[in-house]
Amino acid sequence: MGPPKRYSSKTEGKSKKRKRDEEEEWNYEEEEATNDSENTAVPGAAARNAETNDHSIQEDEFGSKDYRSQMELKSDHASRPLWVAPNGHIFLESFSPVYKHAHDFLIAISEPVCRPEHIHEYKLTAYSLYAAVSVGLQTHDIIEYLKRLSKTSVPEGIIEFIKLCTLSYGKVKLVLKHNKYFVESVFPEVLQKILKDPVIQECRLRRSVENEGEGEDGFITQIQDKKNIPAFGSKAGPSSEQQTQETEVPDDITNFYEKMDNEEEDEEELSLKTVSFEVNQEKIEVLQKRCIELEYPLLAEYDFRNDTVNPDINIDLKPSAVLRPYQEKSLRKMFGNGRARSGVIVLPCGAGKSLVGVTACCTVRKRALVLCNSGVSVEQWKQQFKMWSTADDSMICRFTSEAKDKPMGCGILVTTYSMITHTQRRSWEAEQTMKWLQEQEWGIMVLDEVHTIPAKMFRRVLTIVQSHCKLGLTATLLREDDKIADLNFLIGPKLYEANWLELQKRGFIARVQCAEVWCPMTPEFYREYLVCKTSKRLLLYVMNPNKFRATQYLIRYHERRGDKTIVFSDNVFALKHYAIKMNKPYIYGPTTQSERIQILQNFKFNPKVNTIFVSKVADTSFDLPEANVLIQISSHGGSRRQEAQRLGRILRAKKGAIAEEYNAFFYTLVSQDTMEMNYSRKRQRFLIDQGYSYKVITKLAGMDEEPDLLYKNREEQGQLLQQVLAASDIDCEDERIPGEGGPRGGPGGTRRVGHMGSMSGADDAVYYEFKRNSSSANKHPLFKKFRG
Amino acid sequence: MADNGISSSHQVNSVLIQPANLECKNLYDYLTTRPPTVLERLYNHPTICLAVYRELPELARQYVIRILFVEQPVPQAVVASWGHQAFSKEHVYVSKVLTDLFVWQEAAIPGGLPGWILSSTFKRNLKIALLGGGKPWSMSSALDPDSKARDVAFLDAYSAERWECVLHYMVGSQQQEGISADAVRILLHAGLMKRDEDDGSPVITRQGFQFLLLDRQAQVWHFVLQYLDTVQQRGLDLAECLTFLFQLSFSTLGKDYSTEGMSSGLLIFLQHLREFGLVYQRKRKAGRFYPTRLALNITSSQAKGAPVLEEDAPKGYIIVETNYRVYAYTDSNLQVALLGLFTDLLYRFPNVVVGVLTRDSIRQALRGGITAEQIIGYLKQHAHPQMLQTESSHTLPPTVVDQIKLWELERNRLVYSDGVLYSQFLSQADFNVLREYAQSSGYLIWSNKEKRTMVVNKSGHEDVKKFWKRYSKGN
Repeated sequence: MGPPKRYSSKTEGKSKKRKRDEEEEWNYEEEEATNDSENTAVPGAAARNAETNDHSIQEDEFGSKDYRSQMELKSDHASRPLWVAPNGHIFLESFSPVYKHAHDFLIAISEPVCRPEHIHEYKLTAYSLYAAVSVGLQTHDIIEYLKRLSKTSVPEGIIEFIKLCTLSYGKVKLVLKHNKYFVESVFPEVLQKILKDPVIQECRLRRSVENEGEGEDGFITQIQDKKNIPAFGSKAGPSSEQQTQETEVPDDITNFYEKMDNEEEDEEELSLKTVSFEVNQEKIEVLQKRCIELEYPLLAEYDFRNDTVNPDINIDLKPSAVLRPYQEKSLRKMFGNGRARSGVIVLPCGAGKSLVGVTACCTVRKRALVLCNSGVSVEQWKQQFKMWSTADDSMICRFTSEAKDKPMGCGILVTTYSMITHTQRRSWEAEQTMKWLQEQEWGIMVLDEVHTIPAKMFRRVLTIVQSHCKLGLTATLLREDDKIADLNFLIGPKLYEANWLELQKRGFIARVQCAEVWCPMTPEFYREYLVCKTSKRLLLYVMNPNKFRATQYLIRYHERRGDKTIVFSDNVFALKHYAIKMNKPYIYGPTTQSERIQILQNFKFNPKVNTIFVSKVADTSFDLPEANVLIQISSHGGSRRQEAQRLGRILRAKKGAIAEEYNAFFYTLVSQDTMEMNYSRKRQRFLIDQGYSYKVITKLAGMDEEPDLLYKNREEQGQLLQQVLAASDIDCEDERIPGEGGPRGGPGGTRRVGHMGSMSGADDAVYYEFKRNSSSANKHPLFKKFRG
Repeated sequence: MADNGISSSHQVNSVLIQPANLECKNLYDYLTTRPPTVLERLYNHPTICLAVYRELPELARQYVIRILFVEQPVPQAVVASWGHQAFSKEHVYVSKVLTDLFVWQEAAIPGGLPGWILSSTFKRNLKIALLGGGKPWSMSSALDPDSKARDVAFLDAYSAERWECVLHYMVGSQQQEGISADAVRILLHAGLMKRDEDDGSPVITRQGFQFLLLDRQAQVWHFVLQYLDTVQQRGLDLAECLTFLFQLSFSTLGKDYSTEGMSSGLLIFLQHLREFGLVYQRKRKAGRFYPTRLALNITSSQAKGAPVLEEDAPKGYIIVETNYRVYAYTDSNLQVALLGLFTDLLYRFPNVVVGVLTRDSIRQALRGGITAEQIIGYLKQHAHPQMLQTESSHTLPPTVVDQIKLWELERNRLVYSDGVLYSQFLSQADFNVLREYAQSSGYLIWSNKEKRTMVVNKSGHEDVKKFWKRYSKGN
């Protein structure tokens, strides 16, 4: 027996508890304990905050911060698109003729705060500026362009802030060439400066061998020759709309933009003179850390074309794979100068993140490792590779507890985070695979749903896997605990973030009508709600008969329209009760892999299965392109991320997209006058900032006419209330997914499966198993073998 | 027994007071409420006759001009025959208008038929107004050229500034200089502001907010009317003031007029007009004054819009986003203050204000008596041209509109209905019978079996009572 696992340690029979699905379904939630020692590797500048810059600003009589004294309006302000506030917030007019230029620029240098229809808000942060520098922007250019775009003069404080955050960033790069690590810079003085540090001196590797390029200070000087930016698949021709609106734009904006644009693209064509010194490979970690301390974080770049040590793998994009403009743009940021930068690309769910990942792998053409967070998505990634690239089964290897293809010699390995970071004993086979995996030097590592992994787990991955470049993919770079910033320094800066509303307008993702349906509490339920203890409240508002009826009505309504509906409930008691009462299949934590796949297949292809109930296990990476209606009956408190991820389940662009105003529907049912109202307000914030709007429905038209809805009369409602009141405390809680931690600790032993089955007419037994409540039913032949 | 059944009948009074809305009178509404003697005196001035004539409905103007030079009464049947039968409704309406304004009176013609004749004063003075003659208008007395003549732009700026002073005062912005106690009194009198219960300082009322939402010309007119209401208390002559006002409305912008020959009362009136920006005087005793745009065409009804008042706020400057953000392209303190009534303002840039609509900010406005409808109306009225260009038919994001309404509804969750309580039934059976009856006839509002009490609505009370009497007699 290995050491006890972190989360399931409290349960008896540890080895037996190693359920396959637990391992796989780790749904990494926010990290609750911060590990101080691990958080030090963030440069000091990152802690700087422009937000505090305006503390001295007077509030005017109406309670707003009055910036008028700090800035001067330019006379041609109407043709310039933005305002820069002294606290780092930037407001951009989306209807400005130079919007396109300004937008690209702002995405590069700042974080989008909200992007509704007319005026977008961005925020300058230390991280965003770091990202700007790492994609090749210079301090001077940032300030200059910002000045030109602004309607007013740019506040002094902001210019200071930009200088502070960018001057030392991005000046030094860690480059891997010919499998030797070099610290490279275009600024010899910077290299000299950091070399004065004793720690860095130690890391330096001096080869006594004659080196023609070395100057008197010992640097290798190199003139870089022209390099072409890799082309991604068959791209759509450059958009021709750009030239239509020249008239009102002040010349300085367009000229400068062109200049910057060119610079970015052909950065290397200017045949830059760079200096570098070689460093000892073993000391990379020390070096990186020290550089961060010195406020010269090393940007990692991978010169994959000149890497002769690692063999190329033979994959290419299929000619049929066409990249959408935004996908191409995000990849251009990554491969901007012919090398691969590490970083995070943020695209909405359903906007084709996988294709970006696949294309990145095909561009690097070295061994690729794809990490995702469930067994189901491992399968989906394999499918994606086969769909878009020339890779075949022999090249793609899945490494999960269920499917263990032979890894040796394959080009692409797809696995889950938990498989890699698993600390307990593994089967011999898995051990071998891990060994092999650790020995490899990976060209690229693709991290799917990167927002879900806690930094701790991520560091463990990094210590196990050696990879030259890391690409993080996510839809919501957002955590309630604000730890997302750590990713900047663990993976790399955010390279690109797409605008949801724009993608929706152009039909790349579905047009979703979001609605919040208010279900009044029945008097009896509300009375109980007011008097009962807090833990029971959740169950009372989730099981509100009016909510049940609204759900039933909505399901029927959409089934009649021929839609495919997913119903989400975090609360398992409610999930099962609803599903069983309505006779629909459901999936939750303990559902086995094969059963899940069976249900999902049926949902996809069986015209009789149009509605499924799922718990939060389906929040991420369940790719269900058919689904276009989502009903949420219970959710995880005020988690903005969950809301966005759930919306993502129905975002995949639908066929016949343009005909109707909306082609997907997202309902959140809330019980009126309960906590839920507050939660839902909080949850919606992220999507509202992306430009979505929630329609509040206080009454569902036609619900009263609908025949045979359940819980119509008081007697039935009373019975339901009795059931709810009789439910145990555990039932009152959200589903706990192993790996989540939380105050209750070990979840495995506390879940009661089969509780509802006994009292309901569970006649549709094909789709659910409710008897299975211990590990005995979980044994899969493969799994037994795995245990050795 | 019969009596026992209904031991007490509580009346649940409607607590919901329907807010009184701002009443905007036009000239017609105003004049008709004046006593005939005042009208008679007013018609002694050609200017007033002309103003009244201009404000008449088109058909009425026809009638007046047709009989202007007819010295005898015209049979009513003849007047009616001028128009087509299909428009008899209009005919009846304009006849009433003309009668209400004492422009014409009923007079018997020989033969006993009813006829119409124009009131002699009105007729005489309208003729003067149209054909000339009579005394020169008092204001037109010749003056030496002003050494410091003011141009139109200056006057516009001046009047706007003065007027905004009043508006600023209303929204409670402290930046501007205050206004005189007189003006405050008028605002209070007009119900646009009221004394705060706590500290007695004036605060804006529901009507006040509506007032702010009017266009400027309507505001001035409404304000002046309220002022005229108080004129007599000040010992001023209403007719004199009105006459002067009308003369003013026919004056020329940018031209100066002499104060010579004005009575002392009129001079006080002039000083008030000066405060509100209707006229400009360099000094109190300057001996001359300039009417401003505000005073021009003051009498023309709001329906005609304000073609002359183009200097009014730039139309459309507010952008409302689906995330409840409000961006207002303005540097006017007044507009910012207005927005501040129902938005949380965050930042102010030289030409834009950033705010956000929150539940709290809206509720605060609602508490102040402003309705959701007014807020939405204001946002809509001043929507930025960009907002009008969206593909959807809505100017404002529908979700924001819905939400503002929901925030208002939130405050009115209780529904009040008048009812009568029936209690102290002697037996369950009695109760059941009566409840059954009330329910089947749709009168029942509420009932409780255990306490044997029920409430029926007021309209059903009589019916239920009768039934009960019949029923208990039958027993």
